[in-house]
Amino acid sequence: MTMLIERMSYDNGEAIPYVDSRIYSDRGIFEEEVEKIWKKVWLVAVHESELPEPLDFRTMTLAREPIVIVRGSDSKLRAFLNVCPHRGNLILRQPSGSLTVGEPSGNANHMTCMFHAWQFDCFGRCVDIPRAKAGYQDRLRKEDIALKQLPCEVAHGGFVWVSLNTKVGPLSEYIGPAFDIMREELDTEPLTIFHYHKAIIPSNYKLWHDTNSEFYHDYMHYFNRATSMQQKGYFERQYTAFPNGHCTVGSMEVKYDAYQGAQDRVLSFPGMPRNGWKMVDLFPGATYNIRGSSLRVDTMTPLGPDRVMIEFRGLGLKRDTPDEQAQRVRDHNTIWGPFGRNLHEDLLGITGQGVGMQPGSTPRRILHGRRENNTIHDEIGMRHFYKEWERRIGRSPNDPFPETQTAAE
Amino acid sequence: MNVVAKPELKSLDDTIRETIYRACLLLDDEKFMEWLALCAPDFSYRITTYSPEIRRPMTWYEQDVAGLKGMIEMLPKHNTDHGRLTRHVTVYAVDSDPARGEAKATSSFACYRTMLDGINSHIDSGETQLFLIGKYYDRFRIDEHGPHFIERNVFLDTRRLDKGSHYPI
Repeated sequence: MTMLIERMSYDNGEAIPYVDSRIYSDRGIFEEEVEKIWKKVWLVAVHESELPEPLDFRTMTLAREPIVIVRGSDSKLRAFLNVCPHRGNLILRQPSGSLTVGEPSGNANHMTCMFHAWQFDCFGRCVDIPRAKAGYQDRLRKEDIALKQLPCEVAHGGFVWVSLNTKVGPLSEYIGPAFDIMREELDTEPLTIFHYHKAIIPSNYKLWHDTNSEFYHDYMHYFNRATSMQQKGYFERQYTAFPNGHCTVGSMEVKYDAYQGAQDRVLSFPGMPRNGWKMVDLFPGATYNIRGSSLRVDTMTPLGPDRVMIEFRGLGLKRDTPDEQAQRVRDHNTIWGPFGRNLHEDLLGITGQGVGMQPGSTPRRILHGRRENNTIHDEIGMRHFYKEWERRIGRSPNDPFPETQTAAE
Repeated sequence: MNVVAKPELKSLDDTIRETIYRACLLLDDEKFMEWLALCAPDFSYRITTYSPEIRRPMTWYEQDVAGLKGMIEMLPKHNTDHGRLTRHVTVYAVDSDPARGEAKATSSFACYRTMLDGINSHIDSGETQLFLIGKYYDRFRIDEHGPHFIERNVFLDTRRLDKGSHYPI
């Protein structure tokens, strides 16, 4: 490669920054990411409208740890490790439900491990151990047992945030001012979910976040070229970087009717122009994306260096009439549903990157070098992410294995 | 016992079945405009499912004839993989009402994708994967030209579609 590339420094402001492709494919680096990032920070888990009633629950896996979020009888949301402290079995097995429905091994209103029928209430307290006295005498009492409770907060549009790190600081410290650009849209009135689907893609999780953090790839989307790139204001959209690896993308007026069959938006969110479009990218793997009438939130679950699950949620206002919600659903699906114009293309993009940078492939340089005064085709969003990644992992993104002689070419 | 009406009713049911199968052949061949010719001008098309995760019914795609035509015309401008979808369909039930000129049918389908370039064409091309399964809930209007689709609800059992698709199912 003949262009100006400085080998040892990721982003010194002069050279063309690049990363070593092994950060997207190396098993050891992936394991470090799980331990040093995913088990340490706040993560978006679910939306509060997925558990509207007391004793509703929702299960998931964060950094390989099974989690259950339960709305207590006091209506408060709590997160627990969804693992029985007896023999390590998964307790709640369905993706969602209500504890008011009894299980074959246990009573209603309890979380029951089907294996040996240990039962826990909505506060995580153990309320029944079958034949406890006979087996444990006085060495173990149910009062001494509880599910491991995890830090859990509801914020930024009613999303439930969870951390596996019991010593994590407040969510507000982690997020800082990153949501200021979307505060009015998210927090003026309650939101509700209308869309959920997921994709498992043979690619690295960071490549999806990269896609969400740069708009140069709009060349891949005819829909975006027609409705945005060729419209006024597109090239003035600004990236803003925030502490802890987060960044935002400023709004523009999208001209939806420039695409055959699409229509300008009728509905919106408080404070949001009908055809506005703004984004918040959150380290290490979530994105809030509002296009006029619908909010899309992506959350990632890394499954391996070359495998990621991405969950896609669509939300509108809780007060929407059925007709209004149907309109938001149509707007959302036009581009963001599994049969939408853009999402399919985005997912094909990172699938191809997964092929080009699969584990064991020759290390190569991946450019992060576009500089355009932090406007829409500037790759500042990615560079900002990798500076935070470097800080947390302790490896340079462009020279992750300085102890070896092999360098990306 | 009405010995005259029964053969006529059976014939209509067979025509409905044949129309469903013909629609699948046209979709498999990506002859989308010919597929639309089997539909009435007021045809509505939806892809729906139910999410146990959020415990809500969901609509993932919804178009009328004009919207479908527009979508089909725009396909060449969009990037996609070039795998081919093949639909295997069994019509389970046809309920026709000749007096009202209406019929409805329930069919089960499995849609396979034979890959060309979806991931790595050198390795994966030629492989057939199950893409999704579900049911077609169809409604027809019957006139002197035969049955025409007035509604198709593609209800998906499969909810993890991974990279998804740009094509009608």
